[in-house]
Amino acid sequence: MTENAVEIKNLSMEYFDKERNPRRVLDNVSLNIRKGEFISLLGPSGCGKTTLLRIIADLQKPTSGSVRLAGQNTKEARLSHKFGMVFQTPALLEWRSVLENVELPLELRKVPKKERRERALEQIKTVDLKGYENSYPRELSGGMQQRVGIARALAAEPEILLMDEPFSALDEFTKERLHGDLLRIWRSTNKTVIFVTHNISEAVYLSDRVCVLSANPARLAAVEEIHLPRPREDAVLKTEEYFKTVSHIREIFEEKYNENI
Amino acid sequence: MKTYKKLLSSVLWLAAALIIWEAAAYILRDVICDPLAAKKVPGLLEIGASFLQNSVELMRQAGVTMSYAAAGFALGASVGIILGLAMSISGLCEKMILPYLLASQMIPIIGLAPIILGLFKDIAVSRVVIAAYITFFPVSVNFLSGLKASEENLKSMMRVYAADKCRLYSKLLVPNALPYLFSGLKISAPMAVTAAVLVDTLSSKDGIGYVIVFTLYGGGTTGQFWPAVIIAALLGLLSFLIISAAEYILIPWKRQKEEVRK
Repeated sequence: MTENAVEIKNLSMEYFDKERNPRRVLDNVSLNIRKGEFISLLGPSGCGKTTLLRIIADLQKPTSGSVRLAGQNTKEARLSHKFGMVFQTPALLEWRSVLENVELPLELRKVPKKERRERALEQIKTVDLKGYENSYPRELSGGMQQRVGIARALAAEPEILLMDEPFSALDEFTKERLHGDLLRIWRSTNKTVIFVTHNISEAVYLSDRVCVLSANPARLAAVEEIHLPRPREDAVLKTEEYFKTVSHIREIFEEKYNENI
Repeated sequence: MKTYKKLLSSVLWLAAALIIWEAAAYILRDVICDPLAAKKVPGLLEIGASFLQNSVELMRQAGVTMSYAAAGFALGASVGIILGLAMSISGLCEKMILPYLLASQMIPIIGLAPIILGLFKDIAVSRVVIAAYITFFPVSVNFLSGLKASEENLKSMMRVYAADKCRLYSKLLVPNALPYLFSGLKISAPMAVTAAVLVDTLSSKDGIGYVIVFTLYGGGTTGQFWPAVIIAALLGLLSFLIISAAEYILIPWKRQKEEVRK
């Protein structure tokens, strides 16, 4: 048995809407994520998958249940920089250069200046932005900005990478390039990646396992192992097995949503 | 092309104003034959001549007013920044201060000035206090809304990387609030100058406002009135330009964003 990077147990989340009615966003979600695994949380917009990720990141508190990251609770894990996070928008500080943006987590961790510069430069190289260290976010394209976001998430060398629909705002070609880069980075760093998306083919192409979430409230409808070969290249996207897997997950959704809606 | 048209429109407005002025001066002096014409609306040439003749004295008086305005502005801006920070850090602080801040702006400055003067019994101190009083409100309110204006994602990002409150402010909230702070400063700088001029007129013995009142009610050289009024107006404009220049230098990321948009 491999060690678990993240253990989610009976997680539920409720909040009160404007009419003071309780609304359940997450219903009894339990999931173990293996160390080094690439796992996707897949579901339609507003189904609660981002809420789930934000609870893992200690940005929101669940109503009940628990999340443990490498044996720590979410707050301890956050304070000890167990995870990095990539957001839907690049979330860069516009007054800082690329280098200074990537250095930020190290700065907040009080890493000495020389060391954090070296480590930030290394991550900038990893995401293929060498030569743009002194550029400012506004001078970069959306795809490049998101690369900076990834470099920043990697900077403090966390064990776990949380990604909240990081490529949803990008065009198809940029997205495909970043998929390739992400897989390369993941392979070479051995990180655990939790990837939130509403895109079925993206989830299938990237993941070891895809968690299908149903909406209102979000439940784990199915957890599908993806058996496509690794390392995955673009060529996989043309194989029959890839199509089959995508259609299979699509069917799960059709089943779930015919019931629920 | 756009800047050319902008420039042309300013030139045309200025030319129109000068022509109307000169025409009014001519009508008053030579058509209606008002004996006080030279005092009410003197010709442009006379104003120009008086300007040159008294330029040293006018500049000295302008400098007096400007230095009081600057001192008051600096004091008011500091108080405004501290209040803005305090209200942003503590919700209780905001609930306690903000209503009174708004109420303080309901008191007309023209009524407040004599009270302040009576309180401090010193015209120099009063000038600084009134200028500060005018300044602090737009600064604190704008700064406060700037401190609240950071994107949720950026705040989440700072939290994920375990930023404490002090760093959250120094690395995200304050830099993000700078453009808002500067719009507050740009509003209040000319107001601080106006306030200083106003207090000049009360009972002081110097300052550009003193020159205006003194020459208006006779006693002084009549020709100095309009040049003094023009200089008082230019002082407000100058203060605005100084703050704008500081903004241009200190917030390069906003400046270049606008350039790209063009």
